[in-house]
Amino acid sequence: MLDTGISPQRSMGRNPRIDLYLDLAQLISGFLLVGFLWTHMVFVATIIIGADTFNSLAQFLDDYYLSYVGIPFIGLVALIHVIVVVRRIPNRYQDYWRHARTIMHFDTWTWIFQVVTALGIAILASIHVFAVIMGWPIDADTSAARMHAFWWFYLVLLILGEYHAGFGIYRQFVKWGWIKRKTIGFALKSITVIIVALGLAALWVFVQLGGALR
Amino acid sequence: MSNRTLTFSVFRYNPATPEIKPCMQSYQLKEAGGMTMFVALTKIREEQDPSLMFDFVCRASICGSCAMLINGKPRLACKTLTRDYGTKITLMPLPVFKLIGDLSVDTGTWFRRLSVKTRAWVHTKKEFDPTVLEERMDNATALEIYEPERCIECGCCIAGCATANIREDFLGAAGLNRVARFMVDPRDERSEQEYFEIVGSDEGVFGCYGLMACEDNCPTKLPLQYQLAFVRRKMAVAGLKR
Ligand code: SF4
Ligand code: SF4
Ligand code: FES
Repeated sequence: MLDTGISPQRSMGRNPRIDLYLDLAQLISGFLLVGFLWTHMVFVATIIIGADTFNSLAQFLDDYYLSYVGIPFIGLVALIHVIVVVRRIPNRYQDYWRHARTIMHFDTWTWIFQVVTALGIAILASIHVFAVIMGWPIDADTSAARMHAFWWFYLVLLILGEYHAGFGIYRQFVKWGWIKRKTIGFALKSITVIIVALGLAALWVFVQLGGALR
Repeated sequence: MSNRTLTFSVFRYNPATPEIKPCMQSYQLKEAGGMTMFVALTKIREEQDPSLMFDFVCRASICGSCAMLINGKPRLACKTLTRDYGTKITLMPLPVFKLIGDLSVDTGTWFRRLSVKTRAWVHTKKEFDPTVLEERMDNATALEIYEPERCIECGCCIAGCATANIREDFLGAAGLNRVARFMVDPRDERSEQEYFEIVGSDEGVFGCYGLMACEDNCPTKLPLQYQLAFVRRKMAVAGLKR
């Protein structure tokens, strides 16, 4: 018999709009996280101007309780993002793997890296947040010391984060069709290059500073 | 003119003789000028192995029967030239669809199910009156309907799609493209909510990962990203309205 479409179990058992809501939750939480990531990198990059600028920015965020609202909020958004995207990972991930190996399609591969980077970010970012909170308040000297000792850790986190954010946002633009594929790909690559460069520069300054403080 | 000798590695399996396990069989063939995969396969069948199964009808990329994985990518055999490939060519049947044997798959049942599931016909309460002229539609709308209608139902977008490979009930780009065609058709009286019931879930447009293997593999170069995004936006609005 031919399947005529709407199954009674499906239309009765669950909210028919749940898939839409989950998709939107993924979209919105993703955008918030990307926005956060980029703001964060710009803030961190103030170290390039000088330790004083960096410190007064950290002080400002602390004085107005922005850090105390911001950190838990972003933590919550990240949690929501994880919960709604986990459903995208196929139950039989081997199928996906086999498929990607067969058709050798570029975007299909990037999605596998998307899952891998997500895992990496989840672990590394938790460690990073933990370390920052332990060394509260944020100031240039403690950050520099940390960067100096664990620069490789931050280098990995930076690259994973940028990769994941860049491709995540690219895919959303593609899916919603807000822009043609080639254009958006180019724009995002440029933004990512700028942000990574900024991050690397900040990292370098920190490492120098950390070395000098010894 | 080339004088290459090509080695084809072809998937062999006949569900009617399950005792013979699936395997890859090699055939050697001298390349001819302007040779397509279809011509090569026909030569192999005529000269080397009459038992080889593969599909074709039109030989002109119109009917969509000859799609297969050529070096892993979904392509039409009658449109793909051997000279664009190295001397080693691997041919596999399309995944997702039911295997008939060797390179031949049943796309018909799959597309039939798609038509029934999406109710792919104009829904109208108007009585048809053969004596009056058809209602007019502006050119832009007509073009938006005829563009998606260029789909030849070859199944390349389905075979290339990760989601369709993982979940059986996913409508795929061909299905969503078909729905988009009725959405713009002013003669179809279905409401947004009725469309939402058909494609407003993970079986439909929200199951799409946006990887665009469909668009990259479509031999008729349909604007599938545009079509998928159109359906997605419309369905998001419809879902949020209620
Ligand atoms: S949309 Fe393109 S790839 Fe998919 S079935 Fe139609 S013609 Fe083939
Ligand atoms: S964009 Fe969507 S329909 Fe097209 S191949 Fe990817 S998941 Fe499949
Ligand atoms: S034989 Fe008709 S499309 Fe190739």
